[in-house]
Amino acid sequence: MKKILRKKSFLQWVKRLESYKIYAPMKDDDFWNFALINNPKDLNLNHSNTVLSPKKIIFPQREVILEFSTSNDSELEVKEILPEEKASIIFGVRPCDARAIPLMDKVFGGDFTDPYYWKRRDKTILVGLSCNTPPSSNCFCLSVEGSPHSKEGLDILMTDLGDKYYVESLTKKGDQLINLAKNLFEEPNAKDNKDLENIHKDSEKKIKRQIQDIKNIPAKLKEMFESPFWDEESLSCLRCGICTYLCPTCHCFDINDEIISSSPLKGKRVRTWDNCQFPDFTMHSSGHNPRSDRASRLRQRILHKFQYFIEQYQNYQCTGCGRCISKCPVGIDIIEVLNKVENYGT
Amino acid sequence: MEHNAYIPRLAKIIQIKEEVSGARPIKTFRTQFLNKNDFAFHCGQCTMLSVFGKGESMISISSPPLIKDYLQFSILKMGRVTSALHEMEVGDKIGIRGPYGNGFPIEDWKGKNLIFIGGGIGLAPIWSVLQTALGKKQEYGELKLIYGARTSKDLVFKEELKELKKKMIVHLSIDVEEPEWEEFIGFVPQNVTDKKPSPKNAITITCGPPIMIKFVIQALKDLEFEDAQIYTTVENKMKCGIGKCGRCNIGMHYVCKDGPVYSWAELKKLPQEY
Ligand SMILES: Cc1cc2nc3c(=O)[nH]c(=O)nc-3n(C[C@H](O)[C@H](O)[C@H](O)COP(=O)(O)OP(=O)(O)OC[C@H]3O[C@@H](n4cnc5c(N)ncnc54)[C@H](O)[C@@H]3O)c2cc1C
Ligand code: SF4
Ligand code: FES
Repeated sequence: MKKILRKKSFLQWVKRLESYKIYAPMKDDDFWNFALINNPKDLNLNHSNTVLSPKKIIFPQREVILEFSTSNDSELEVKEILPEEKASIIFGVRPCDARAIPLMDKVFGGDFTDPYYWKRRDKTILVGLSCNTPPSSNCFCLSVEGSPHSKEGLDILMTDLGDKYYVESLTKKGDQLINLAKNLFEEPNAKDNKDLENIHKDSEKKIKRQIQDIKNIPAKLKEMFESPFWDEESLSCLRCGICTYLCPTCHCFDINDEIISSSPLKGKRVRTWDNCQFPDFTMHSSGHNPRSDRASRLRQRILHKFQYFIEQYQNYQCTGCGRCISKCPVGIDIIEVLNKVENYGT
Repeated sequence: MEHNAYIPRLAKIIQIKEEVSGARPIKTFRTQFLNKNDFAFHCGQCTMLSVFGKGESMISISSPPLIKDYLQFSILKMGRVTSALHEMEVGDKIGIRGPYGNGFPIEDWKGKNLIFIGGGIGLAPIWSVLQTALGKKQEYGELKLIYGARTSKDLVFKEELKELKKKMIVHLSIDVEEPEWEEFIGFVPQNVTDKKPSPKNAITITCGPPIMIKFVIQALKDLEFEDAQIYTTVENKMKCGIGKCGRCNIGMHYVCKDGPVYSWAELKKLPQEY
């Protein structure tokens, strides 16, 4: 379904969606971040890239998975805690962040479906916004099979045409949102379609950074497992973990028990994001650690994204948002690393 | 509704046996589920054991699948969870989720000679498959166990081993000399080299610390075992057990799901990072 929505009608549309929880980028201090919108008036789509991707709404940084307690007669009780199920809409999702979600679906689906993830995922509608200008100077979506107007993972893609939005619904969930305010939408005319095409084409030209020849990378990485290259590239890494915490596709987590009282026992089991750049991530209790140095941990981050994930799911586990580059305190740049891989030893 | 994979089922400890005391204590626990359920598993599979308030640990089931009344685990005291388990008493409750992992391809081994090679607590993960093969002795060729520990006190299943000697060949070893010890003195891989098991129609199943496994494989290769005849289990730090938390991988494999059992033919193709 392809529609036009006047910008002046946008607020009205959002008001009609009041039965949903609405998330959108909000500016707090200097940063943009996805937050729950209480007043539709707060919603504005002029955001640059958010610090964290909307991944955190479907897969929160911290969530309780169960509670345990012993009652007075010392019976142990374990209670499953599943997230509440209210339907949500996320507005202003960048196409790269949207593409990360089907990748997470693969991880949290499969042989063992993850009920915590899917409870939220099934109830979340993703409304994307094309990037007419790249929100970051390190955007490289085109190199990883994406684009600034990719529809993958989205229910609706909106494109800013100046005084109106081009609104393309891509799924039944998307159609529903438009149908809730049918009278606000118009049919696109030939000029709108032409404008859309031009804006999309132009937006691609504005992406400056690229990985040279990504097709060769997975095989090259496989050959380079033992290479001293990883020592050289990782020397400056502080193992702060920013690169993976900010990544829209990273899914690694930890599970720990938190005690509220020890007698009678009362507490919860909590899942939190974890990080392959931390030495502790893989360290056994014995002290043995298969990835004990920075080199093996950088290698893991790169190979997981550009070799293992491809082998497992036939996709790169990177959507080119550029956050890990912009925010790394020591300037480790995944594009540079991959371009060096491409040319290594030749 | 589908069972939530993260929610353990409650079980009661019905028996605790001290296998090894001292600085590296090992205890064997038998547990029974509080509610009747359909828990079924294969030899070599593991479960996530919960001590509520402490966390979870991946532990191999050391009883054979044929035994339905209880599940048995032999546990070396290491950190938070395993220490808490060591403090538990009969009647205390734990959580169990699983079973996880691929298990041993025991059906494919029918008619073959099986050589079990273990070090320290590493006998526990192969005890289930050993007992299963022993129970169906007529379906397999010769059964042999080569097992060792640091000292005679560190050997697990001491009484069971005495019984076992009546039923199959058992070669024991300890790392350093002790007055009463009449069997091999030296590391497990050296004992393998010393006993020279024949590769003919044989499968070896080995489990122990990473360094022992490495040298056992070397010893077996020297004895001209093929890569596909050598099976081992891999241990990596685990949290979810279901291929999602991302920490137990070797290359694209998640050991919790795709392992922990590998033939050397399979394992050597993966990045050597475990
Ligand atoms: C497939 C498999 C089978 C195993 N079978 C047995 C067995 O039969 N008997 C036995 O005694 N031990 C076994 N282990 C090792 C056992 O899981 C660890 O010793 C145990 O998890 C340590 O937990 P802790 O809380 O006491 O230590 P801590 O140091 O407090 O560990 C914190 C957490 O990290 C994780 N962790 C740390 N080290 C390991 C490790 N080596 N392996 C897996 N997770 C780890 C656990 O989730 C643990 O709760 C097995 C490990 C694996 C991977
Ligand atoms: S953000 Fe940079 S310094 Fe921090 S862990 Fe990642 S690569 Fe290392
Ligand atoms: S333990 Fe989580 S992926 Fe294997």
